Order: sequence, then C-alpha cells, then structure tokens
Amino acid sequence: MQRHRHLKNLFIFLVFLFLYLPIITLIVFSFNTSPLNILFEGFTLEWYGKLFSNTTLLEALKNTIIVSVVSTGISTFIGTLAAIGLQKYNFVGKNFINKLLYVPVVIPEIVLGISLLSVYTLLKLNLGLGTLIVSHIAFSIPFVIISVRTVLNSMNLQIEEAAHDLGANDFKTLTNVIIPEIMPGIISGATLAFTLSLDDVIISYFTAGPGSNTLPLQIYAMIKTGITPDVNALTTLMILVIITVLIISSLIQVRKMKKEYAR
Amino acid sequence: MKNKSKFLYLSPVVIYAIVLILFPILYILFLSFQTNDNYGGIIYSLTLNNYIKIFDIVYLRVLFKSASIAFITTVICILISYPFCIFISEKKPNVQKILITLVMVPFLTNSLIRTYGWIVLLRKEGVFNSILQSLNICDGPISFMYNNLGVFIGLVYTLLPFMILPVYSSVSKIDKKVLEASEDLGANAYHTFTKVIIPQTLPGIFNGSLMVFIPAIGMFFIADLLGGGKIMLVGNLIKNQFLVSRNWPFGAAISIFLIVITFLLVKLYKKSGGNMDDLGGF
Amino acid sequence: MKKIILCITILLILTGCTQDNNEVVNILNWSSYIPDEVIRDFEKEYGIKVNYSTYSSNEECLAKLSSAKEGTYDLVFPSDYMIELMIKRNLIQKIDKSNLDNLENINYNYLSYNYDYYNDYSLPFLAASVVLVYDSEKIKDDITSYNDLLDSKYKGEIILLDDQRVVIGMALMALGYDMNDTDSDHLEEAKDWLLKLKENVKAFDSDSPKTFMISKETSIGVIWNAEAALAMEENKNLKVVYPSEGFSVSIDNFAIPKGAKNIDNAYLFIDYILEGEVMQKIIEAYPYKNVNLETQNYLSDTYLNNDASNISDLMFSTGSFVENIGDKIELYDKVWAEIK
Repeated sequence: MQRHRHLKNLFIFLVFLFLYLPIITLIVFSFNTSPLNILFEGFTLEWYGKLFSNTTLLEALKNTIIVSVVSTGISTFIGTLAAIGLQKYNFVGKNFINKLLYVPVVIPEIVLGISLLSVYTLLKLNLGLGTLIVSHIAFSIPFVIISVRTVLNSMNLQIEEAAHDLGANDFKTLTNVIIPEIMPGIISGATLAFTLSLDDVIISYFTAGPGSNTLPLQIYAMIKTGITPDVNALTTLMILVIITVLIISSLIQVRKMKKEYAR
Repeated sequence: MKNKSKFLYLSPVVIYAIVLILFPILYILFLSFQTNDNYGGIIYSLTLNNYIKIFDIVYLRVLFKSASIAFITTVICILISYPFCIFISEKKPNVQKILITLVMVPFLTNSLIRTYGWIVLLRKEGVFNSILQSLNICDGPISFMYNNLGVFIGLVYTLLPFMILPVYSSVSKIDKKVLEASEDLGANAYHTFTKVIIPQTLPGIFNGSLMVFIPAIGMFFIADLLGGGKIMLVGNLIKNQFLVSRNWPFGAAISIFLIVITFLLVKLYKKSGGNMDDLGGF
Repeated sequence: MKKIILCITILLILTGCTQDNNEVVNILNWSSYIPDEVIRDFEKEYGIKVNYSTYSSNEECLAKLSSAKEGTYDLVFPSDYMIELMIKRNLIQKIDKSNLDNLENINYNYLSYNYDYYNDYSLPFLAASVVLVYDSEKIKDDITSYNDLLDSKYKGEIILLDDQRVVIGMALMALGYDMNDTDSDHLEEAKDWLLKLKENVKAFDSDSPKTFMISKETSIGVIWNAEAALAMEENKNLKVVYPSEGFSVSIDNFAIPKGAKNIDNAYLFIDYILEGEVMQKIIEAYPYKNVNLETQNYLSDTYLNNDASNISDLMFSTGSFVENIGDKIELYDKVWAEIK
C-alpha cells in the first residue's frame, strides 16, 4: 500500500490545488495595484479602503446577512420541531409529507425558483426581502430536518421516557432533555441552511425584487458588467472570517474532547 | 394535551410542505397546460402543446446536450473523487478530518466569486495564458473558456464536493479487516478493488452522481459566464422562457419534464439501495 | 431556542426599520446605464433612496414588470418597440409633462416616433445603435459588411450581443431582407447564416461586450455604440463601421409603470436626469447617442469626436428599429435555441 505514496500525495495535492486555485488568485489580486486583474503589478491595500465606500456592495452584503440569518433561524426552528414531531407521531398523510420534504433536496434549484416566482406572481406579492426569505426557508427546512433526524435516530429513546417518569412535562422534556441531546444535529442543520442561503444564486435570481439585491446576485451582475478589485477584497475578508470560525469551532471541539477524556 | 403538542410539532411543517412545496409544483403543472398569449400573459386552456413542443428537434437537442454535459461532468467528478477519497482514507484519522474540512472551506465562500476566479485564470489575457506566453510554451493564447471546456471546468469545480463527501463517507466505512481478509484469501489488489471496494462504495457513488447530475442540468449561470452565452443548457432554456421569451407555460412544461426525470433518477437510486436522508446530509 | 427567537425578533425589527425608510424610488433599468455617482448625487440632493434593479434585454424588462405585483417599480427604461407593447398591455401610464421642468431640453428629432406618436407614455432618454467595430491592428482587411465576418480566418474572434432580435435581425439584413422579416423561409436562411457565423463567434454578451474588445479576447464586435466607444478609449486601434447592409437603432425611454407607488419621486428622478449637466455625466460614462439639447453644450471632445458614440441625427435616421412581430416571435425563439 505504501508503494505509490508520493504519487498518491501528488494526486491529493493536485485536487487541492484545483479547489483552491481560483480563491488564491482572488486573494493575491486583492492586493494588486492594477484594477484589471490581469497581471500583478504592485502591492496595495487601496481596495480594502474602497470596499467600505462601495455602498451597493455593502448593502447587498447586509441583505444577504439578513436573509441568511432570518431564514436560517426560522427553518431551524420549524425543521427541528418537524423532525421530532415526525418521529414521535403518526398521522394521516405522514408518508406523503415525508416524500414532499425530499422534493427541494433533489429537484433542480431552477425548478423550485420558477415555481415560487409563479406563485408569488399569482398571489400578487411584492418581490423583495420578504419573498426572498420565504424562498430561502423553502429550500432550507428539509436539510435541517434531515440533519436533526440523523441524530434523533441514533438517540436513546428511553431518555425521554425516563424524563417523563421523573415528572418532567412535555415542554421540560423537550427543552431540558431532547434538545441538548440533538444539539449537534440542530447545529449542523443550521450551518448547512446558513451556507446554502448565503451562497444561493439560482432561487434568489428569480425571487428577489427591487431593494433586495443579495451579494451573490450583485456579484453576478458585476461579473457581467465589470468587476472591481474591492470584490476581491471582500472575498479575502470573508475567507478570513470563515477560517477563524472554523479554527475556533475546532478548538472548542478539542477542548470538549479533552474534558470528556479527563472524565 | 397530547393532541395539542402533536399539533404544535407538526402544523408548521405540514403547512410548509403544502404551501411552499406542493402548491408551487401543482401550480407549475397547471401552467404547463395553458397557452401563452405572446405578451407574457396566459390564456386559460387545456392543451398538450407545450409538451409536444419539448419534442421538437430543436429543444430535444438542447435537452440532449444538457444531459450529456451533466453526464460527462458527473463522470469527471467520479474520476477525481474516487481515487482522492481512497488515498485520503489511507491517512491517519486526524489528518483525514482536516483534509475533508479543507475540501469544504472553498465552498463556504460565494460560488460566483469562485467562478470569477476561474475567469481571471482562464481568459485569453488571463493568468494561465500569461504564464504560458512568458514561458514560451505555445505561441498563441489557448482558449480555455467561452467553449465547452470552460463550462466543464466550472461545473466540475462547483459540484465536486457533492461527489467527494458521499464517496468519502462510503469509502471510510469500508472495514479494513474485510480488505485484509480478502488479501489473506489470496485476492490480488485488482480483485480486492473490483469485488470488495467498488460494491461497498457504490451507494456513495450513486448518491454523489445524483447530487452532481441534477444540479448540473440547471446551473445556468456557469454556462452564461464560462460558456460565453453560446451554450444553452436546460437551465438557460427555462430561464429564457421565464425572463426573455415570456412563454411561462412552455417553461413550466420543461420544468415538469425535469421533475419527472429527477423522480425517475431518485427511484433508480432507491432501488440500488440508496438512503434518501443521505442525499441531504452532507 | 429562546435566544434564537430573540435574535429573529431583533432582526425583523431591524429590517423593518430599514424598510420603512420614508422616501424611495424603485427603478428598473438596463445594466451599465446610469453611473453610480449620479444615483448617489440624486439620493443626497433629494433625500430619496433609490432601489435600483437591472435587466439586460427589453424582454427581460417586460418579464420583470409583468411578473411583479403592480406598484413594484416606479420607473423603467424600455426601448421603442417595447413601449408600444407595454402601452398595448396596459403596463405603463401616461406621463404628466407638467411635472417636468426640463422637458424642453429633449431634442425634438427624437419625439413623435410611431411607437408613441404623441409621447403620451414615453420620453426619450437616449438613443443607441448597433455598430460593427474591429481591431485594425489584428484585422488587416477592410471590413465593411456583415458578410465579411463569415470569413473562416476570423475563427473565435467575434463578440455579438446576446439579444435575439438584434442578432437575427443582423442576419436578415446581411441576406438583404428587412430586419423584422417574419417569413419562415427567410428565417431559415438567417439561421443557416448564423450557424456559419457561429464558427467565428467567441461569445454572446449584452452586459459588457466592451470587456471582450478591451482585453483583446475578441477582435471584432457587433455591439452597442456606447460599448464600442468605451472600448475605443482603451484600444486606439479599434475602427467603427456602419455596415453597408444596414444597422439597427433604438431609442430608450423613460416610462412610468401602472400603479407606481412613488410617482412623484419618479418625476423628480426624470427631471433630475433631464438636467443638462446630469445627463452629461451619464453620456460621458456610457457614451450612447445624446438626445438632450442642453447636454450637447457640455460634451467633451472625446465624446464628440468618436464616430461610435456621436452618430449624427442624419445617420441615425437611416437605421432600422426592431418592431413588434406578435406571435411570430416563436419563430425567432426557435432560431435562437438552434444557434445557441
């Protein structure tokens, strides 16, 4: 198995190069004095300053954050309740609802996008942040349900009974027993919903309206009409944030593991 | 009491599933039987014309081209992911964890920005061509984009993690002891691979293929940006029906057609032993 | 869980606050048309927030306007034939000209076209033409007509607009037909002509075809005059041609959608744009054909001496307009799907 170690490592390296090349390029060019993104001509931080005066871009960023946070919050709430409820209770049509929940996961995004747009038009709704948030909730909920359900399935059902036997009411059992137990599932579902929402192009493209431009839509328009290096600067900052979050979360995990190990 | 909490748990999701999933799809189904009035309006009728139109040779060609591009993208993704995941699974568990996280990091940033990164690299006066020119490797610039190649690079790049993650999770589940047993029983590396490793990882590959193939059909923006608007995929066709030709009933019919194809692919996936929950749980 | 709910409530309140920002105007306009600076200046001067959305073809404008709820947009900028269609579909309303102080700035040569003879519903904003432009450093031949572009040595050298009426119209003109021809045999010929041309086409792009010419990705373009003019500023070797077979022109207009909610602000915006010096900023940034008499006094030499941007009134009048062709659009759609 060790025979081709170097070749194997080379292959892994090449795949990572493929994955990171466009990002590294953008980071490098965010420090470039020339705005043309063609050759590296000199080092500057100018674009980082310009970024904070680009109101269009900042507003798109604000909209994106609002939409992602609100839609993630609501879908995490509904999705978590749903996952628990669907496991606990039986009702007429449960099977059908369960099947429906897979639809947003598997159908092409564009189909969901145009169906929602058609319905908004039918109902004469104003396209804007509201419709955008509803659309993002529409595609996020199933992902939350699936993540929570995975954890629920491996959970010890006797815990709940024990809580009941000890006199806890339904609400107490939920908040003090079930939720802490399935927290990893809720967190991963919420993270997934948040990432999907943050990066959604196709569904937003059809369901956004005036004054609700999101960052992906703004960047799509800018790529078509000419991008400025402050977008590179924004990307660099966003990657910095992501890496920081990742490092912090893995540090927390390590500490937790150490604690458990100590016990 | 019991019924009240049952109601609290379930009513949001039932309302959601009916209002935001079932109703939109039924409405699209309804639209697909209507007639377009050429001004973007709808004439209420009951016609199959929109479905007949899909089978016009012009639109069939678009469907076929889309399907082949999506298929090739899927195959390339498998060819990259499979060895990649196997090589990674040979590393220490901690290293594996870090590497898989590193696969995810680029995908937490904006996908359009990354596509733009490719444009900077691939265009005629882009980074690749500048390097090739300065090293005198070739005399004229190479067309990396505004053609099929550009679309493939964009699609494979955007969809690769959707293949890597399920394949990795199935590869990492292979019991090392089974492999040892296979070797002990005298199977050579080739046999171990085809008889043991491949069958065990097939569900992961199917899962990944579904998660790559279906989105690849609909990603109109990759074809727009890296194909130079020359390559019309089903996604672009639907988008055009809704935003340019203003023929919503026809756009709706194509969408229903896509839903049916998706449904069949999912059936196939389930038949091969795939678990639905694996599709959404990266 | 409580924290999550609290966060959501706070956010909803926050978004509520920013949404209720008293005065707004919702504008739906072409991409690359009005510089950001002009919008910001307007916002500062009148304290009205501009919500700006864009489209890249008249059809997209129509689709967005008709699929959104009435009152979503306060101001749109459709071209000639689209104005006619929108009047028919009852999508736009009459303009009350008494609200506009700068009305007399408009060049009368661009009023009273057939699409809206009394200009009840539309007022010209600027005019555009589609020109042929090529890099004389790379292309040594004299290109004078669309048919010259079929030469196989121009493989991958051409950028076209991503606009089915303009591109199919060009093919029809190249074949000696009218650019609005709906004869199915003629369209068949146009399709074959375009399939031949496609061998040479690098990309279809309406949003920023100039980028292709500036970055030398392509050396021949059949693109909007302003895009050509901007490219010429960066690349001095570019030459403009008004092809012998004819060329298409268009007039883009201010129009107010039915049920516009912030109609007063829309009038303020129109009037602001019609000011000579404001229009000058727009025209210098996106050098289309100026139709504002007052602005004419402020224009720079760069603009005036550029054959692409400063097309004469006489020359403009020889161009052809895209016309409404009713349900024959389906034939165009099919040709388009086939050549793409």
